[in-house]
Formats: sequence, C-alpha cells, structure tokens
Amino acid sequence: MKAFTRLAIITTLATYLLIFTGGLVRVSGAGLGCPDWPKCFGRWVPPLSVSQLPVDIDPAQFNFALAWIEYVNRLIGVAVGLLIAAVAVMAIISYRRHPKILIASILAAVLVAFQGWQGGQVVASELAPLLVSVHLVIALVIGGLMIYVSQRAWYLERPDTEKESAYPAGLRMWVGLLWVLALVQVILGTQVREAIETAMHDFPLLPDSELIGAVGVMKYVHPLLGAVIAVAAWIIVFRLVKAKNRPSPIVWQSGWSVAGLVLVQLLVGAVLTFVGIPAVMQVLHMWVAALLTGAILVSYVALGQAQEG
Amino acid sequence: MSRTDSYPKMLIWLIIAMMVLAVMALLVVNWTNVSRSKIPVWGELPQFTFTAAHTGQPFGLEDMKGRLNVVDFIFTRCRSACPIMGGNFSELYSLYKGSDKVRFVSISVDPEHDSLAVLREYARQQGVTDDRWVFLRAPVEQVRQLCEGGFMLAADDLPGGHTTKFTLVDHLGRIRSYHEGLDSTGMRILKDNIRQLARDLP
Repeated sequence: MKAFTRLAIITTLATYLLIFTGGLVRVSGAGLGCPDWPKCFGRWVPPLSVSQLPVDIDPAQFNFALAWIEYVNRLIGVAVGLLIAAVAVMAIISYRRHPKILIASILAAVLVAFQGWQGGQVVASELAPLLVSVHLVIALVIGGLMIYVSQRAWYLERPDTEKESAYPAGLRMWVGLLWVLALVQVILGTQVREAIETAMHDFPLLPDSELIGAVGVMKYVHPLLGAVIAVAAWIIVFRLVKAKNRPSPIVWQSGWSVAGLVLVQLLVGAVLTFVGIPAVMQVLHMWVAALLTGAILVSYVALGQAQEG
Repeated sequence: MSRTDSYPKMLIWLIIAMMVLAVMALLVVNWTNVSRSKIPVWGELPQFTFTAAHTGQPFGLEDMKGRLNVVDFIFTRCRSACPIMGGNFSELYSLYKGSDKVRFVSISVDPEHDSLAVLREYARQQGVTDDRWVFLRAPVEQVRQLCEGGFMLAADDLPGGHTTKFTLVDHLGRIRSYHEGLDSTGMRILKDNIRQLARDLP
C-alpha cells in the first residue's frame, strides 16, 4: 500500500475515534472541564490540583477529571488535525492530477481547522445546544471526506477492486438515498438531544427518567424514521451482498456493517427511549450513527467505482 | 468457494473496537460522576437566630436544615453589586420554582435602614411570592459575626463592604461551596452543585 493511502486510512480511523471521544466529553459533562480555550485554566497543561490554579480563577470551577477529559479530547483533536493536514499536503504534492482526492483532502483540512475554532466557540458559549450539534455535523462531514479520500486512493492503486462484481443497476441510487436519510436522522437525533438539554436547563432538578418526556414530537419522529431506515437498510444490503453479485470485500464488509449497525442502533435507541438515558448509551448511539453514515458512504463510493470500472 | 469467506475478520475487529470503547466510556463516565459527587464540606454553620421579614418570626440554622440553601449578604440601598446579585437570585428563584428542595436566604447587612417592612417591599419588587426566598434581619454586629465567623467571608465596613459570594449550605447546615454572585460561571457551577446535592435529599 502506498504511504498516502495508508496515511489516509489511519487518519480516517483516528477521525472516528475522535468523534467517539468528543461524544464522551459531552455525555460525561466535561465540555466545560476547561473553561477557557485553547488553554486550560490559563495553562497549556491543565492543573493537577487546585494549588496550580491561577489566582483569578474560582477554585470551585476546577474538577481534575473533567479538565483532563476535555484536555485529552483537545489533544486527540490536534493530532487528527495534523494528520489531516499531512494528508492534504501529500495530496497537493503527489495527487495534483487526481482532482477528487485533491479537493476532498483540502476541504477536509479546511474544515478541521474550522472545527478546532468552532470547538472553542462551543466552550465560549457554555455549550449552547445548537453549537454542540453543529460541532457533531462538521465532524461527520470530515469523517465522510476522509473515507472518500482513502477509498479513492485505494482504487487508484487497485483499479480492479470492483472489476468482477455485478451489482443490480439502480442500487447505487438507493444506497445514496439511504445515506441522505441517515444524515437527516442524525440531525433529528441532535434535536432530541437539544430538547433534553433545554429541559435540563429549564428544570434543573428533573430526574433523568423524566427527561425523555420533555422531548416533543421528535420523540416519535426520530424512532419512526429509525425503523424505516433499518428496514430499508436490510433490503438494500440484502440485494447488495448477494453471492451472484460477486461483491468485492469492501462492499461485502461495508454492507454487513450497515446491516449490523442499524440493529445495534435500534437496540440502543430503544434503551434510551424506554429504560433511561445512561451516558454510555448516549455516546454509543451517537457513535454508531457516525459509523453507520460512514459505512453507507463506503458502499456508495464502491458502487460508483463499480459503475466506472 | 465464495470470495467472501474470509471477510468477517474486519467486522470482528469492528465489534471488538466497539466493546473496548464502550468499556472505556463506562470507566470515564463513572470517574466523572464520582468526581462530581465529591463536593467538600467547608464547615458547619453556628447556631444563630435572626428575624425573617415575611413572618416577623425568628429564623435560624434549624429553619435552614432539611433543604439546600443559597445564602447571600445584601442591603436594599446598595446600587453597585446588589442589583446584579439580586438579579441572579431572582433567576435562580424562578428556575427552581416547583421544587421546595432549594431555598434562598438574603441577609441584610444594613439593618438600620432595612426594617422588616423595607425588606418585605424589596422582596415584593424581586417578585418573591413564597417562602422559598427569605430575607433576614439582625443587629449589624450579629450579622458581621455570622458572616465572618460562620460563613468565613469578609465583612469589613458594612454595609458597603459586604461579600458578593453566594454560599451553598446543605440540608444539614454545612457549607458546601462558594460562588461568585456577579458572574455567570459562578451561577453555572452553583446549579451543578445544587443538582448534585439534591440527589442526597430525602
């Protein structure tokens, strides 16, 4: 494998790990663990104890666990930012004649820089729900771009990947539609989260078990669309991975990932609706959604390659 | 043999990665929950008996117990810090309406001017309609003693030199945290602590 392809794949994996840790920051309530940005309590390395706080900061603000969780997320964020920048630089140097790779890499680099700044705005707004959602959506776009770059680079090296496969005509459009639906579903999911956050803000002593009741009509729309997506995903995957299509490894794996992830997602969603909203389930729900949109995109790009190839 | 026989390997890795991350998430969430529940006890308030403006009756430490109390020191003629502190108290007072777990206590540092009637009028202006927010009056020397000795807060040159801190006192009359009454960060952490301590209430 070429260095560029390898770097792009590693960067993609790192991006999805970062999406997970970002979610973890939110559900563990560590978003304001560092009240300032980019520094943490005025320091590049967060304080280890109250005695290291600057004199003008209220010691009640400092919580060791929250500060370090937020800080580690920022560190991983910087690492991913540098990785994406490296991908873009390599693309500019070596892939100038491949505009799809070049443009997607540069776009990812621009977006990740914006994302770093926007993360600072999230902190400055004291976690305004809308800005938190925007932070997630940008992350998903960056993840999608990195998948696209990795896959295109892969096909450049192995143009025969989809040569033997024969997928039904028109399936690509359905996969694309599924991807759009999944993205809409993510946006609706952020609306559920925002409604819960607003309820927690307005009724600060409401027990967690009653918070889901504070979500309006989205409480029904989101699960309903989830069920539609799950059924559609299974029908599409079933038609995609049939042996007579001779699916490529990429299509076979991404297809079954989609089928598996929608089931996990339905299950986690059901727990959140009927059992309660434990933090771990919340972060899993968000992360599985991220993986799901990624896996659908992989299938879509692969089907595009099959058509061209 | 099908091309696809050896592919499940990557999916297994995906499943393993998800499980590892889920365990990590459990540990992190647990760690943060434990860290948040550790709100130190700064000290116990001494007994005191002041007069509550809304009843004219004595009001002291025993009346504070059983609920969470947010305490501040103000005076009605004050034109600098108090309007901001009062605004923040008003906001909290309406935020926690519907719950009698939280009480707000404003102690006048200017009893010479702040008669019970003046305090009642001030309460009315702040929109107070029930005993979730009480105003207390006592001779200035007793107020100074309680502020310095009990709350461990500065009380020089009363009334002008009163503290702008809000003190969170738990249901056992113990001081749990201090919050700057003039800024939004102080209010945010105060709300976090109230949420946390409310879980311990009967």
